[in-house]
Amino acid sequence: MQEKVEAQNILSMNSIEVLYDNVLLAIKGVSVQVPKGEMIALLGSNGAGKSTTLKAISGLLKAERGRISRGEIKFEGTDITEMLAQKRVEMGICHVIEGRRVFEHLTPDENLTAAAPMGMSKATLNAEKEKIYSFFPRLAERKNSQAGYLSGGEQQMLAIGRALVTQPSLLMLDEPSLGLAPFLVEEIFGIIKQINQEQGLSVLLVEQNALAALEIVSEGYLIENGRVVMHGAADALKANSDIQEFYLGGGEGTNFHEVKHYSRRKRWLS
Amino acid sequence: MDWVFLSELAINGVLTGLLYSLFAIGLVLIYKASSVPNLAQGGLTMVGAYVVLALSHDAGLPLWLAIPLAALIMFGLGFGIERVALRRLAGRPVVMILMLTLGLDIFLRGTTLAIWGGTSRSMELGVSYDPLFLGDIFISRIHLVGAGVALALFVAFMLFFRTRTGIKLRAIADDYMASWSVGISVERGVGLSWALASVVAVAAGVIWGEIQGVDQALSLLLLKGLTVAVLGGLDSILGAVIAGIILGVVENVGADFLDPLVGGGSRELIVAAVLILTVMIRPHGLFGRHDIERV
Ligand SMILES: Nc1ncnc2c1ncn2[C@@H]1O[C@H](COP(=O)(O)OP(=O)(O)O)[C@@H](O)[C@H]1O
Ligand SMILES: [Mg+2]
Repeated sequence: MQEKVEAQNILSMNSIEVLYDNVLLAIKGVSVQVPKGEMIALLGSNGAGKSTTLKAISGLLKAERGRISRGEIKFEGTDITEMLAQKRVEMGICHVIEGRRVFEHLTPDENLTAAAPMGMSKATLNAEKEKIYSFFPRLAERKNSQAGYLSGGEQQMLAIGRALVTQPSLLMLDEPSLGLAPFLVEEIFGIIKQINQEQGLSVLLVEQNALAALEIVSEGYLIENGRVVMHGAADALKANSDIQEFYLGGGEGTNFHEVKHYSRRKRWLS
Repeated sequence: MDWVFLSELAINGVLTGLLYSLFAIGLVLIYKASSVPNLAQGGLTMVGAYVVLALSHDAGLPLWLAIPLAALIMFGLGFGIERVALRRLAGRPVVMILMLTLGLDIFLRGTTLAIWGGTSRSMELGVSYDPLFLGDIFISRIHLVGAGVALALFVAFMLFFRTRTGIKLRAIADDYMASWSVGISVERGVGLSWALASVVAVAAGVIWGEIQGVDQALSLLLLKGLTVAVLGGLDSILGAVIAGIILGVVENVGADFLDPLVGGGSRELIVAAVLILTVMIRPHGLFGRHDIERV
């Protein structure tokens, strides 16, 4: 039974602790499972440890003088805890980092080329690009302009497209909705959901925008102060009173209620 | 006004300037990947020239074989520098990397002095010193050859930066973290840019070694090379070529006017003025990229 569960999880992260600069304990025993083909959300306020969790999985901690001090991460059954970031991308993990970070002085088309594995044939790369342009037609229109001058939404689309070129089986997105208008968030989330359903791409989505995230994922984890404090099906989380109050804007809460929790709410949303 | 004489000064200024560009292209390659002006580029150029001499004069290989072989050796040396020294500095302040390149320059100068001594040796490329006349204008053949090499390298790098590997290098120059996130090996990219800059150092070492002899003074080319690179914008190869031409002409023509007035030595003053004025008035140089303001 245990083994069957293992086999169904594309990613299994067990009791991971991360230290920055050898002193700052940023996450304290986080366990997250991503079942194959599912979309999972990591929710939590600023500084909770969401990005650190993703960096532990993608291997980008090293670039920020961070390291995993305890626990193990398995991807498709292989222990990747100590693996180089580059190897993990080759295995099929791609991390769309916070803040879009497109290659500003390259064109969108060159951004996609830059992410192509050295071994990928030109024909395959062109096919990948066509597919990405069909998901994001706005990118196709601007593919030869400078990426630094794209709008925020277009840059987010490009960052996602650039990750797709690596042909991941697990896509991790760090706050893709940040600073984007609601209609753009809806468009981008819709496309991610579409890719997830059509191609079975597993997705780990980090969001502060819980309302939008819980609409498209099947499960969610709530992280606070470097620990998982809640885990459940998306519907159950949506119905949970704490989550409703702090993330989904309450609704039925009386004024008294809001005042009472104001300081806590402020902390969560800051 | 003697127009023939003035055009001769200008044309030879262009040619000399392109030889500065030849040197500066190496600086630009490393700046793009590591965000530091490589203070060891002069040392590398000198080592490149000595390796050619060792292979041709000492080991007896013909020049057509010795030069590509030296380029190959220097290519390996460039990769080695990244592997042994630079990789440990990843994530440290850029000024540390700058100091490392300074240390490397001193090391390279000391090593060449220990192995080959201080006496000047000649490159003996076999380029004729017979005067070449373009109409009434006298042109130096070796300068013409060197300018051709500089332009050829310029074209080669422009093409290279359109290939997949070249695009990855430009991506690395833009954002290390984002590069890692899509599986680009930043370390190998930085190593490659050092390797390519070391090959450029061989080209510059051969041409400049032919012109002024092979000795420790070759490493002092760094000063003019840096001036050209800064004027061009530090991260633009096109900038390095154009800035080289500008500096060459301004220096050649300017010195002709100023030397009689100040009694010689005005070339250095002109180079200094160009460097200082660029930094003060246009810190991004002629073609340096500005960081794009996000809206
Ligand atoms: N590079 C870093 N160096 C030191 N501390 C960091 C670094 N990145 C994040 N932290 C700390 O780790 C904690 C978790 O941060 P992070 O994972 O970025 O949270 P989130 O993504 O949920 O906002 C915070 O206290 C933050 O200050
Ligand atoms: Mg974050």
